[in-house]
Amino acid sequence: MKLSENFALRQVAGTWVVMPLGDATLDFNGMMTLNDTGAFLWKALEQGSDKEALVAALTAEYAVDAERAATDVAEFITMLANAGCLVE
Amino acid sequence: MGQVQQVRMKDMMPLMKEKLAAGQSVQLSPVGISMLPMLRQGKDCVILKPVSGRLKKYDIPLYQRDDGHYVLHRIIKVGETYTCMGDNQFREETGVRQDQLIAVVSGFTRDGNYRSVETLSYRVYCRFWHYTRPVRRLYRAVKRRLHRIFGR
Repeated sequence: MKLSENFALRQVAGTWVVMPLGDATLDFNGMMTLNDTGAFLWKALEQGSDKEALVAALTAEYAVDAERAATDVAEFITMLANAGCLVE
Repeated sequence: MGQVQQVRMKDMMPLMKEKLAAGQSVQLSPVGISMLPMLRQGKDCVILKPVSGRLKKYDIPLYQRDDGHYVLHRIIKVGETYTCMGDNQFREETGVRQDQLIAVVSGFTRDGNYRSVETLSYRVYCRFWHYTRPVRRLYRAVKRRLHRIFGR
């Protein structure tokens, strides 16, 4: 599980947005925005974290139990996968 | 944690400029009625490309007015500066400078179908719409006059 190189995380006007790079058209009608937790996980993924590491990072950084963190991470990963942000 | 959503173009201008500076396209949904019947808010999208050199009559640039507003209107006259007007408008905006231009429409989608501004039907549309403007203006004036005389 790795982040696709075709996307980059940017902070604009106080919002985290996932920006498509390269020839992909930047579509303002369907941009992925992340909250602080989402951005935190994105950065962890950039560092090469796997699913377990993400859960660990989330429980270490935020007041959340492992079960809840695992659910959140799974949801987050599904969203990224659906948006084409992940490569194998 | 995250969602895919429509974002406000104004907020995302740094991203848009970055993308355009790299020679790439951006897509957005125009707001308002000034470019009817071509662009319907919430339905149609435009694809914008970077501006290279002077634009021509009938091009549709995205530009920023000196008061900060972003506008997507058609060029109807080219001189030292550009004169722009929405397809659904009758008031010309003169004095649009090259340095105010951000991008230019290269195509648009209607009902999900992409159309380039190079297509013949589109080129016919903009000329037809431009040259029939006086007729629409007259129609509007007559209608208003009648409303004033006879009420609604």
